[in-house]
Amino acid sequence: MEDRVILRVGAKILIPHILLFALYVQFHGDYGPGGGFQAGVIFASAFILYALIYGLAHAKRVLPLGFASFCAALGVVIYAGVGVATLLKGGVFLEYGVLRHDPVHGQELGILLVELGVFTTVFGSMVAFFYSFTGRRKSRS
Amino acid sequence: MRVLGLFNYWIFIFLMMVGFYTLISRGNLVKKIVGLNIFQTSVFILYISMGKVRGGTAPILMEGDAVYSNPLPHVLILTAIVVGVATTALGLSLVVRIKEAYGTIEEDEIQAEDLRL
Repeated sequence: MEDRVILRVGAKILIPHILLFALYVQFHGDYGPGGGFQAGVIFASAFILYALIYGLAHAKRVLPLGFASFCAALGVVIYAGVGVATLLKGGVFLEYGVLRHDPVHGQELGILLVELGVFTTVFGSMVAFFYSFTGRRKSRS
Repeated sequence: MRVLGLFNYWIFIFLMMVGFYTLISRGNLVKKIVGLNIFQTSVFILYISMGKVRGGTAPILMEGDAVYSNPLPHVLILTAIVVGVATTALGLSLVVRIKEAYGTIEEDEIQAEDLRL
């Protein structure tokens, strides 16, 4: 894709907006349609677009496969960590209300953190799926 | 007009039949997986549209009484979407392995290869 100027420039314009939209979906998720799953997929799609246009080797320099797998595991740790934090604060597992003095603020914070965990996991596993499928032909020969 | 009022069910039936037909009529394994995905999507639409309450808001804590959409089907389908992604990835990885072993992803050619051996 070295000579496809329109694709390269178009991707460069699109990618930041895709990333920004993913973050909008992420942080707007508690009041409107959206949340960690959708935002994670949209965020990963920006990296997949980058890999499609600029090649897998460049994409792996930006985001190595190991880091994507690490993200997939880190999200689970964040999710479970919020649950353990609520346990330590005297509530039941994932009872967000005890995270702050005000239950409503606690719920807001809890949902945000849990969605962040979901976001990280979905983003990491999506990118890892894509890398594993596209990188396969080269690794075999 | 009742028929038009239930158009989400018509979309559900249409999508389900499109996916089902693709699944049974195509020999190409990747196209089969695409059909399976369309089939899954029809079920998602059925459940999500059933959970919608007219004039309802998001099911979050607020003062006073509020009409809110039923969150249970949405959460159920959120899980189903994730499972769907996982099954799609698993199916595609099986297709990759079949392609490496047989050199083709057409079902009849795979069967011919099996009979030849």
